[in-house]
Amino acid sequence: MEILNGFWDALVGIYKGSGLMNLDWRNYLMIAIACVLFFLAIKKQFEPLLLLPIAFGMLLVNLFPAIVAGPTTDMIPVKPDELDHYANYAKTVIGDQIYVSKPTSGGLFFYLYQGVKLGIYPPLIFLGVGAMTDFGPLIANPKSFILGAAAQIGIFVTFIGAVFLGFTGQEAGAIGIIGGADGPTAIFVTTKLAPHLLGSIAIAAYSYMALVPIIQPPIMRALTTKKERAVVMEQLRPVSKLEKIIFPVLIVVVISILLPDAAPLVGMLMFGNLLKESGVCDRLSKTAQNELMNIITIFLGTTVGATATGENFLSFSTLKIIALGLIAFMMGTAFGVLFGKVMYKFTGGKVNPLIGSAGVSAVPMAARVSQKVGQEENPGNFLLMHAMGPNVAGVIGSAVAAGVLLSVLK
Amino acid sequence: MDLLGKFNLSATILLTGFAIVFSVLLFLIFIIWGYGKIVSTAQTKYSERKRKKELEKIRSDNPEIPDAVVMSAVSESKAEPVTEGIPDEVIAVISAAVYSMYGSKEKVRIRSVKRSRKRSAWANAGILDNTRPF
Repeated sequence: MEILNGFWDALVGIYKGSGLMNLDWRNYLMIAIACVLFFLAIKKQFEPLLLLPIAFGMLLVNLFPAIVAGPTTDMIPVKPDELDHYANYAKTVIGDQIYVSKPTSGGLFFYLYQGVKLGIYPPLIFLGVGAMTDFGPLIANPKSFILGAAAQIGIFVTFIGAVFLGFTGQEAGAIGIIGGADGPTAIFVTTKLAPHLLGSIAIAAYSYMALVPIIQPPIMRALTTKKERAVVMEQLRPVSKLEKIIFPVLIVVVISILLPDAAPLVGMLMFGNLLKESGVCDRLSKTAQNELMNIITIFLGTTVGATATGENFLSFSTLKIIALGLIAFMMGTAFGVLFGKVMYKFTGGKVNPLIGSAGVSAVPMAARVSQKVGQEENPGNFLLMHAMGPNVAGVIGSAVAAGVLLSVLK
Repeated sequence: MDLLGKFNLSATILLTGFAIVFSVLLFLIFIIWGYGKIVSTAQTKYSERKRKKELEKIRSDNPEIPDAVVMSAVSESKAEPVTEGIPDEVIAVISAAVYSMYGSKEKVRIRSVKRSRKRSAWANAGILDNTRPF
């Protein structure tokens, strides 16, 4: 009978500790959302390298919320003769009872999340991005920086919208940065300004980046004439190896002195680029581009996904963030194209305004969109390399915008 | 936060952001343009000096050769395309493609045709795939 009672108690204990008892409807809804993201990542191939880990992190945390729980200390009552077993633990006496403070470790994602919380992963992702980026088109045509700057205006305009929709200044800054179309920058800024919004902002940012080919072309067509879209740009001048080596050093010196808050992102971006361009650190460059980048992507994706618990994510704020993120993205594209038009006028029609939309980062997807829309008007027009200039300028521009938000709002 | 507070905060961020992002990036344009000029001038001067040295060496080694021949020999050796054993047919196809892009108005000269680094199509696809999300 005692055995049966023990068996029954064990079954009841397992049932009480299971998800069937502990999960509420919000967790189940989040599991369904994670499944939708799986579909988008696998079937539609929307940013699968990030969306899949994010969706899996979301799934896991809603099945087993303790996976993100931090370490705790349990107070265990002990008898005086058992004290020898707990020699290394702190002891507390309440009345006649002795308690020992026994620390328990946190969940797996709690530890992995420290890389996000402490701002470690986004700069490491930037290291890999830098090692994969060719800044040649930007060096050949530095005026591209204007378009990279113009596309950041969306960030600040969206900030205003977010403030008037009831978000605090810090939350509004984190939401506005979605317009930079740069995932690591958005995560970096959000962890510093509004960590409680991380899940919604990361998912909105990566979803819109995946939707660049759908969001941007109608705006680009609406703001340009057929004649402007058909402009064939002059071939870029060749850039020497020396210029490419000097570039990352120069940028990191200038940005770090002028805007120290942007130094971790820009510094790692330029370090990665120097590894590539120096030509003497091939192994390090390859590691930054591949293994390191992939490892960090897994950690970043799963832990960011794990912040999307039902409690955090299912709120009216998330809907507002998604709407504001879309506005930020569209504004960034529109301002980039409009400044492209200004450059078109000033250069006497030598600049195709379509390359302005690439200023929103989202490398290299946004540049590909400029190429595609340009070729629709003139199949012999190759805008890709010209659009890569504003595109990589946008990466630097969004890091600078992040630095501005951090220095003003932190 | 009241309405005035919201307005003040929004205006501050908009103005600060606009001013700093543009001024930093305009400053970078100036710097890159400046160092680009310096580096390309220095490199042109260096290659010019190298060419002169080459010319003088040929002249001193073969004083009997007329100046015009020496000059043309040096300039021809500069203009010779580097083709790394790539078949002439392939060079012709590349030249035709370049011509079709630029037309006859542009003065274009193919200086070298090199084989790309040996990276398989799968590796290229992998790199493309890796760069896509960022």
